Amino acid sequence: MDIEALLLTLRLALSTTALLLLIALPLAWWIVSGRGFGRALVQAIVALPLVLPPTVLGFYLLVMMGPLTPIGRLLIRLVGHPLAFSFAGLLVGSVLYSLPFAVQPLVSGFSSIDPGYLEAANGLGASPGRIFRTIILPLSRRSVLTSIILTFTHTVGEFGVVLMLGGNIPGATRTMSISLYDQVQEFDYAAANRTALTLIAVALAALFVIYLLPGRMSRRAERGELA
Amino acid sequence: MRMISKRPRALLAATLSFSALFGGLTSAPAQAPAKEIHVDAAADLQTVLPVLAQAYEHATGIKLKVSYGSSATLATQILNGEPTDLFLSADYTFPEKVVAAGLADTGDPIPYAKGTLVLWARKDSPLQPLHLEALTDPRVKTVAIANADHAPYGRAAMSALEKLKMLDQVKPKLVVAENIAQTAQFVESGNAQLGLISMTTASTEHFTQIGTFVLVPNVYPEIRQCAVVLAKSEHRAEAHAFLDWLRSPSIQSSLPKMGLTPVQ
Repeated sequence: MDIEALLLTLRLALSTTALLLLIALPLAWWIVSGRGFGRALVQAIVALPLVLPPTVLGFYLLVMMGPLTPIGRLLIRLVGHPLAFSFAGLLVGSVLYSLPFAVQPLVSGFSSIDPGYLEAANGLGASPGRIFRTIILPLSRRSVLTSIILTFTHTVGEFGVVLMLGGNIPGATRTMSISLYDQVQEFDYAAANRTALTLIAVALAALFVIYLLPGRMSRRAERGELA
Repeated sequence: MRMISKRPRALLAATLSFSALFGGLTSAPAQAPAKEIHVDAAADLQTVLPVLAQAYEHATGIKLKVSYGSSATLATQILNGEPTDLFLSADYTFPEKVVAAGLADTGDPIPYAKGTLVLWARKDSPLQPLHLEALTDPRVKTVAIANADHAPYGRAAMSALEKLKMLDQVKPKLVVAENIAQTAQFVESGNAQLGLISMTTASTEHFTQIGTFVLVPNVYPEIRQCAVVLAKSEHRAEAHAFLDWLRSPSIQSSLPKMGLTPVQ
């Protein structure tokens, strides 16, 4: 088993999840806090990575972040090297690729909150930041958790974007899925099986948490522990 | 993974000049009903086969449906029952695996061309005029190479670097692509500064316009591109006929301008 690839994959998935949470929380709130052309368009764009083949997404990123485009040249000046073939490049790719998986659960969670609570809090003079922290987040805990775990597992299983953008560098861009692909290509099916089982175990554990934890939370809520 | 053919304009131009070249072949009337043969072809043929397929269809009425990939990907798919008629690998070992599995129609892989490895860089690169020593230039941070385990050109490139005693210096700079077509893409898009790519790609109109190449010294094991016809194929005769055509002197003599060397 390729331990280096496992550690890299976990690092990539954790970084992507943290970064996406920071992006998705305000974005999802903005999407549900109104209606209109702009919001519908943003929501459609956010959902696009669901439709685009990951290899195509990876190819566009490869070209866009390369030295042939103004954006690419700016990025190279900022970072000091082309983003492709680096961990930073994979992180950018993963954030885009997993964006819908982070945003969609939050959108559905936020939109199910009774606006009465928010109006009451507002009437009592709570600041928007406080309303978000003390009302919105606790009430959509399950959605936040779903968003985190879906982002994490989706990034763990990412292949096409990494294949196009990564360059298969051990410790920097060779993730588990690339390692698995290489093992299959080398006809090393035993190693491929071990890698695949590890991927399945990680995903199963994460998904198990989704279905386990919220149940516990609601029971705690029933007992009044969740103020 | 399957790659879809690109560079339609260069292709069209090449095709036009080729149909003129092979005009003589059309004298054989295409009376037989149009048939198709399925070909799994190594990624270095992505620039060559569309031209040849057009000429072949023009001459015989038989269409080639081609899937491109690294030779290893294609071999894996064939060994796992992919229903194809002909496998054009970029080496000897992958078709040999098909033979060993008892899936081939012949006892040995059949050579049809020899591949050439080149070092390629964009014309706007500071490394121009390009020479082999650019590989060890301290300004070079990334060198694209095909995966040595899946792609025969990658294996040749690693072997060449080792023989030229450059491997230790170049190894930290290597970015590894899944097949030789993707290797070219890495360096064409400017993300990698240098690429060890196939001469088939380097000699296309697009690549000669935007870059230059130098030959890698011939110290690597020969890239002997071999083919097998699949025993289970329903179009075995047609597949063999195409392979014979590909190995015929007139076609072999047209290979060099597309970056391949004749086998005889």
